[in-house]
Order: sequence, then C-alpha cells, then structure tokens
Amino acid sequence: MQKKIEIDRSEVMRYLGYRTKKPDEKMLALIDECEEELQRAIMPSYTFRILGLERVKEGISVVSTPLILEGVDISRHLAGCSRCAIFAATVSLGADRLIKSLEARDMTRAYITDAIAGAAVEAVCDQAESEIAFRAKSFRTWRYSPGYGDFPLETQPLLLDVLNAGKLLGITVGENNIMIPSKSVTAVIGLSDHPIDLTRQGCHRSCNNCRMRSRCSFSREE
Amino acid sequence: MSNRLKELFDKKQIIILDGGMGTMLQAKGMQMGETPEKLNLEKPEWLIDIHRQYIDAGSDIIYANTFGANRLKLKRCGCSVDEVIKAAIDNARKAAEGTDTLVALDIGPIGQLLEPTGTLSFDEAYDIYKEQVIAGAEADLIVFETMSDLYELKAAVLAARENSTLPIICTMTFEATHRTFTGTCISSAAMTLEALGIDAIGVNCSLGPKELLPIVEEMSQWTNLPLVVKPNAGLPDPVTNEYDCSPEEFTSLAKAFMPLGVKYIGGCCGTSPDYVRALSEMTRDLVYKPQHNQLPAAVCSATKTVVIDQPRIIGERINPTGKKRFKEALVNGDIGYILSQAIEQTDAGADILDVNVGLPSIDEKAMMIRAIKELQGVVDAPLQIDSTMPEVLEAALRIYNGKPIVNSVNGEEKSLSTVLPLVKRYGAAVVGLTLDENGIPKKAEERFAIAERILNRALALGIRKEDVYIDCLTLTASAEQAAVYETVKAVEMVKTRLGLRTVLGVSNISFGLPNRELVNCNFLQMALTKGLDLPIMNPNVALMTGAVRAYKLLMNIDVNSTDFIAHYSGAQEAPKAAAPANSSNMDLSAAVAAGLKEECKRITKQLLQDTEAMEIVNTMLIPALDKAGAEFEKGKLFLPQLIQTASASQACFEVIKEHILSTGEQSVSKGKIILATVKGDIHDIGKNIVKVLLENYGYEVLDLGRDVDCQLVVDEAIKNQVPLVGLSALMTTTLGSMEETVKLLKEQYPECITMVGGAVVTPEYAEQIGADYYANDAKESVDIARKVFGN
Repeated sequence: MQKKIEIDRSEVMRYLGYRTKKPDEKMLALIDECEEELQRAIMPSYTFRILGLERVKEGISVVSTPLILEGVDISRHLAGCSRCAIFAATVSLGADRLIKSLEARDMTRAYITDAIAGAAVEAVCDQAESEIAFRAKSFRTWRYSPGYGDFPLETQPLLLDVLNAGKLLGITVGENNIMIPSKSVTAVIGLSDHPIDLTRQGCHRSCNNCRMRSRCSFSREE
Repeated sequence: MSNRLKELFDKKQIIILDGGMGTMLQAKGMQMGETPEKLNLEKPEWLIDIHRQYIDAGSDIIYANTFGANRLKLKRCGCSVDEVIKAAIDNARKAAEGTDTLVALDIGPIGQLLEPTGTLSFDEAYDIYKEQVIAGAEADLIVFETMSDLYELKAAVLAARENSTLPIICTMTFEATHRTFTGTCISSAAMTLEALGIDAIGVNCSLGPKELLPIVEEMSQWTNLPLVVKPNAGLPDPVTNEYDCSPEEFTSLAKAFMPLGVKYIGGCCGTSPDYVRALSEMTRDLVYKPQHNQLPAAVCSATKTVVIDQPRIIGERINPTGKKRFKEALVNGDIGYILSQAIEQTDAGADILDVNVGLPSIDEKAMMIRAIKELQGVVDAPLQIDSTMPEVLEAALRIYNGKPIVNSVNGEEKSLSTVLPLVKRYGAAVVGLTLDENGIPKKAEERFAIAERILNRALALGIRKEDVYIDCLTLTASAEQAAVYETVKAVEMVKTRLGLRTVLGVSNISFGLPNRELVNCNFLQMALTKGLDLPIMNPNVALMTGAVRAYKLLMNIDVNSTDFIAHYSGAQEAPKAAAPANSSNMDLSAAVAAGLKEECKRITKQLLQDTEAMEIVNTMLIPALDKAGAEFEKGKLFLPQLIQTASASQACFEVIKEHILSTGEQSVSKGKIILATVKGDIHDIGKNIVKVLLENYGYEVLDLGRDVDCQLVVDEAIKNQVPLVGLSALMTTTLGSMEETVKLLKEQYPECITMVGGAVVTPEYAEQIGADYYANDAKESVDIARKVFGN
C-alpha cells in the first residue's frame, strides 16, 4: 500500500538538533530542497495484520503464527489486550541510496536528508496506525517495537516473515537483525475492548524512561 | 536447454506453470511466518497433494517447494539445504509420476541485501545459490523468481550457469512504478539477463494481471527471449489477505499478455488450481508469438539504461594517469575521493563513467572490485571497465551490476583471444582499439581493417554487432598533425561502412599545445559530425559538455531544444539555497563560516600564490572551525551549519592538497587517525561527519568504512602505525563488535589510543569496554585528537 506522506517538520527540526531556535531562511530553503528531493526518491509503504493473542508460559503467543512475544515490557504493554496489530512500515531503499550519494556530494544535505527520512518513516507509521484504528475499531496502545525495553530485537525476522514484509515491502534483515531499508519500522499495537491508560496510549510519551536520556540530542525535554 | 524442456518447448505452444504455494499450504494448516520448506520433510503428503492438484489442472511445469531453501533461512528450523531441496524435488517427482510434467528447482531471494547498501557480499550470495543449485541437480530446470535485486540475481545466474547445465528462467518482481524495490528498471533487467544467456525472462508476484500488463509490455520491447508471467490473483485485502480477482477475470485479463511473446504462464500469490485450469483452457488454441525486436545498442546499470542512439558522454576522470591527487587517493584507499569524482562528472553531464584504477604500486584487482562496488552504490550511470589486465576485467565483470563496457580489446591476437571471450561470458559491450602487433596504423583504411577484424572475431563468438564500439585512436596534434584527419576519417568509415558505434578519447588531441580547451572542443565537433557516438572526455569542462549538447540541438536530436534549454536557460540565476550576496570581497574565514564552497576554493587558490599551505590551515581554516565549534557547543549553531562550515573548509583542503602534490611543499598532516564503523553496523553517516571534521583540522583520516572486521582495524592500525583509532556503533546489537575491536587493539597494539562514539554508546559503556575516550559528537572527537597528538 503506497501513499504520499506528510512529513512533520517539527520532528525534522528536533532530529537536526534545533529545539527552541529556528533555523535561518537559507537553512530552511535547504531543508525544503532536501525534502523535495527525498519525496521524489522514495516509495513509502506499510502492511499490517490484526491477530489474536494468547498468554502462554514463554510470553504472549500471536494466534495462527509461530510468533511468541517475550519480555516483561511487552507483556505490560499488551496487558488486557485480546488482539494486536502488527505492522511494518518503510520509506523504501530510495532513501538509503539518496543519502549515500549525497554523502559523496554534500555532507550537509546528507545529514539533513537523513533527518527528514527519519521523520518520514514516522509519518508512514502514523498512516499505518490510522488505518489500523479504522479497521480494528477498538481501544489501542501506542506502537511498541522490537528492541524497546526487554522486547528482544531477535523477534524482528519472524515478525517480518509473519507480515510477509520481504515480498510486500522489500524489507530485508541481516545477521544483526538490522533492517534494510534502514528507514523501516516494525511494531506491535495492543487492541482491547476496554479503555487503555493514557501512558500506554502514548499520550504522555516522554523521555523519562529512556536510558539514553541524559545525553540524547533529540530529547523532547529542554 | 535440457532435452526435457526443449521437447516441451517444441511440443507445446504455450507452457502452463503452476499457481500459488503459500496460500495452498496455509489452507492445509501452515501458520503465517512458518518456514514452508521444512514441510517438505514434515508433511510430504501435503506437498504431493498440492503438486498433483496443479498437474491435474494442467501445469506442464511445477515448482518444487524450495523457494526459501537457502542456508540463511533454513538456519531457523535446523534443516540442511541439501535434505530440504532433495525432499522437495522428490515430492514433486512423486506427484508427477506417470505424467510428462517437469519439475523446476524454485529459488527466491536470500532475504538479505548485498553490499554496499547491505552487508552480504556478492561472493557469499554466489555461494549460497551455488549450494542450492547443486542440491537441486535432479530438477529439470532452475527458476529464480520474485527477485527484486538485479545484483543478487546476477550472482544467482552465475552460480547456476557455473554449477549446472540446467536451463535457467528468471522472473523479477516489479512495482507499479515499473521498478523493483531496489530500483532495478525493466530495460536493465532484460538487457543484463539476456546478455548473461538465460533461457526465458519475465515477471511474477507484486501485482495482478491488470497492473502487470504495462510492465510486461515494456519488457517485451527489450528482449527477444520467451517471456514468463506469473501474476498474483489481483491485489490483497490487508486484513483478510484475500485477493480480488476470480479465476475467470484473471484469465480474461491474462489473455492480453499472450501476443507479447509470452511462452510460459502461471499464477503467483492467491492463485490456486482453479486459476491454472482456466489458464490452461484459455491458452489451448493459442500460438506462441516470438518477438523479433531490433534491440538497440545500449548499456546499463541496474537503475539506468543508456541507449547509444545519439552522442553520449563517457567521463574520463576516474583515472590516475597524470593526476597526482588521484594516485594518492588510490595508494591511501581513499574511496571517498573516487566517489566524489564520479558524482562531479555525472552532475556535469556524463552519461557513462570510465573506471581505471591501475597503478603499479597497488593491487589493481582488489581496488577495481572495491571501486566498482562502491560506485554502484552511489551513481546510476553505467560504468566502463578500463584495464589492461584480463584478470582485472574478469573480476570487475563478475561483480558489475548491469551491462558494462569493457575498455578494451585490440587487434592483437593475444588481446582478441583473451578479452572477447570475457565480454561474451559476462554479457558486456566492448571498445575495440584499432591497433595491433604493428602499433597504430597511419592510414584510416588500415585502422578500418583492424576494426573489421575485431568485429568479425566478436561476431564469431556470438557478441552482437551492436555491442562492439570502435575507437579509431586520437594522436596528439602537436606530434602528429597530419594524423588528426586520418582518425576522423576512420571514424566515418567505421560508422558508415561497418555500421558500428564509435568511441574516441578526445582530450589527448591537444597535449603539448596552449589553449587546449579550444583545440579539444573543435576536434570534438569534427568527430561528432563524422559520426562519433561516445566521446571519452572531461565532462567538468563546461565548454566540452556544452559542445555535445549544442551538437544534439543542431542535429535535431534534442527535439525542441528541451534538454539544451533546461541546462542553460537558468544559468544566470543564482542557486537557491546558498547565495552569496556580495562575496567577492570576502575573506577565507568568512567564506568558510558561511559555508560557501566555490568561494572557498577560489580564495584558497588565490592565497596559495603567496601564502604557505600550513599558514592558511593554521591561521584561517582552523580558527574559523574553532569559532563554529565553540558556537555549536554553546547551542548557538546547529549541526547542519557546523557540517556546512566543515564541508566548505574541506573544499579548501582539496585545493591545498592538489597544490602540495604539485609543488612538493610539506604536507599539512597533523597525524594519522583510523575511523571505522564496527562489524555488523551499516549506519555510518555519523562516522562520516566525524571524518570531515577531523580532516579539516589537518588530520589524515584512514577511513575503513562500515561493517569493518574487528581484526582488520587492528591490522590497519599496526600497518600504518596509527596512534588513534575512532570506532562508531549505531545499534545496540553491534556494541559487541566495538568491545571486541577495542579488546583486540589493546592486546595486539597496546600503545594505540581508542575513542568511541555513536548513538547507542554511553560514557559508562566506553569505560566498561576499556576505550580511552568517549566522544559525544564530532566536535568532541576533534578535541580528543588535539589532546592525543598535542597540537
């Protein structure tokens, strides 16, 4: 499924390190040019599945797949959820190729484009999430990805297989469970018939619980 | 072609393939995400039943359940490639007992991306496919399908061709954009694969028959091979996973493929025996219509096809001859410099890039392989592989992604008998030089005779006439003035009498003369008028590239002057993003601070006339960077601006380096530093930013790239006696490699100092793994270097 995406400019600014300050006109013009070029180079797409959940000894089993979600954090995240939506989203390999060639041409553009592509994949995730919301018609948690907390990154390959993401989106995964195209995301959204507390809905998404908090240049807090 | 497929090919007009396997297995109880290939061992009865259903429905060829049976994917279920593939073929054979149905070894993508974008090497990919091909020796043919990376497919085809005699069919998966996920275009796929000598080509998966039609139409124009089509049953619903096209609708849409040269038809995801039955009925009375296209002279990368139906510029700058800076880059393995030369040329208007990395002091083969792999990652332009050594040509031809030009063969017997077979084997085009054992003939007629000899030898090997480009050889006007017109005359003869494309190195003509550009430009015009197709020249000289564009305009090739106007109408406008208002009086520090690269280069050149290089670095560049760095630390300046400043300063450094190499003035190196992104990690933009900054402070950076083997870092550090090594990791999963590298360095080269950084690295972690310094950002890495080197 491919759609044109709206990239959140404030998210781009945060990735670039601008917090309260605004870049000057020249820099803004450069960012615009980079975004135009990126939009032409990418094929954003996503895919998802809505599946049942069963609690088993090892963790949470995703019905009709061999997938078992392990870890305390994902269990907490999916507490009270009888189903989940699993999705994968990518801006496509076009972004990797463009950034690589920009690195040989102009490092500033490469860096800016990298930040825009990061915000772009979040925008694709937003699209996936809103379609999931429309289809699932239930209360839902925010998106939780392999590698968050103690949810093992090793889940990545199987999660992608369940979604058939290689065939459908062209996402590949290497020995280190790193996805290529690099601007790709997989995540699990819990679905429940009962209201979900605000924290798990992502309303109070904050950097408080992140171990990189003290030195992260993308932090939302001042 | 094997006898069995040939018999079938001759007997049946349209050959019916099978339909989807995944949906059939899921209907029998396979879970989503499960490894379907292990069912060959666990549930043979399921597979025999599915194959039989397809045979009953009319399949002439069934695909064994071996799509993902490669060693990487099977690792998860603990089965071996050999046992799975043998069992799969056995199941298919059992199902086909008593029928004439053929069994295909079905092979899909490995599931990992090849370097430089991914980490899997071409040789590893070849080896993975080789294992599958050998295990599947009992099949009647080999099918590679659902491929989206032409590069990976090339490795697969070579593995099949070199380890089996079975026929090969390739189908790739294109999106509605007419490109695959990796950007491969239809023309490039068709051209490259046909040249590699496969038996049939086509498309499968991704879309339904309706959406695939324009893709098959395009493909049919680029090949004369029998076409293969396996569409999905329409488009899937994301929630139910059901496809929207019934067998009847599917078949009536599929009918439109048949006049396009389709010989093999079947179904992919979502199709079942009902679809195959309907296809079988629909095609019963149809006749296969082979294509008879006049295929053009063309070369390609995976992402771009260049048809040589008009003058095309071959950029000559990737070549060390007479270029000290380029030689230095080769000796230091500075791939970044070579890439920047490539980008500069394609931006200036080069259509194809010549790649020559021959230097007596380096391993040319290793460098050629590295350069081609890296170039393929950043430029779309097809490449011309330029070497005098056949083993270098062969190594490059193997790993080239697309259809390249080989530069060159000549009329000598030794050259003809070694180079032309390589051209044929790897499906390239070739430049033929009109010289032989007796040197370069004086007269045009004699050069023509050599051209004819080269052509005949090529034709005898099965190389197409359209793939032979003749170089009638430019001699310098200052030494052999009378010979100039002989060259031009020979171009005309080769073009008109042999009907071949012609190529000519243009820049040599003016060697030893003043005002070289003027001479070059006029010679170029003369040659173009007489039929030169491929000038090898410096596209960065605006006058030369402009001459080619003007020629195309005047010859009515550039219809409505579209291309010419697009290039020159805006020439007076200032660039949008970085416009110096009044830069002519600017000093170097201000130009660096403003990030104005061109201005920086100009001022540096001027300064070098009466200022020492080291003085420029110490009194102008570094203070400008220091100021930017301090503002960055205070939060007044942001990383994009800091990088801009550093890039501008880097432009100055390039000018200074060239100057030093040409004058022999003392180098500005303040010390050597190795940078590497650790094993397994492929995100290296952060490391590259650090590199730019360090170089601008006068440090010599040996950039080992990304996904760098732990021991290699140590070896290079010892070999180059480097006092400081910087390591970067962007992923938690690769932190282990960082720890391992630091450990090996401490054991084998204890006096070496290490600094580490990257998104996931913390000061605590750095301390824990025994690194000497932690760098939070690029600026801090400079501070550390200054401390370590005491400068």
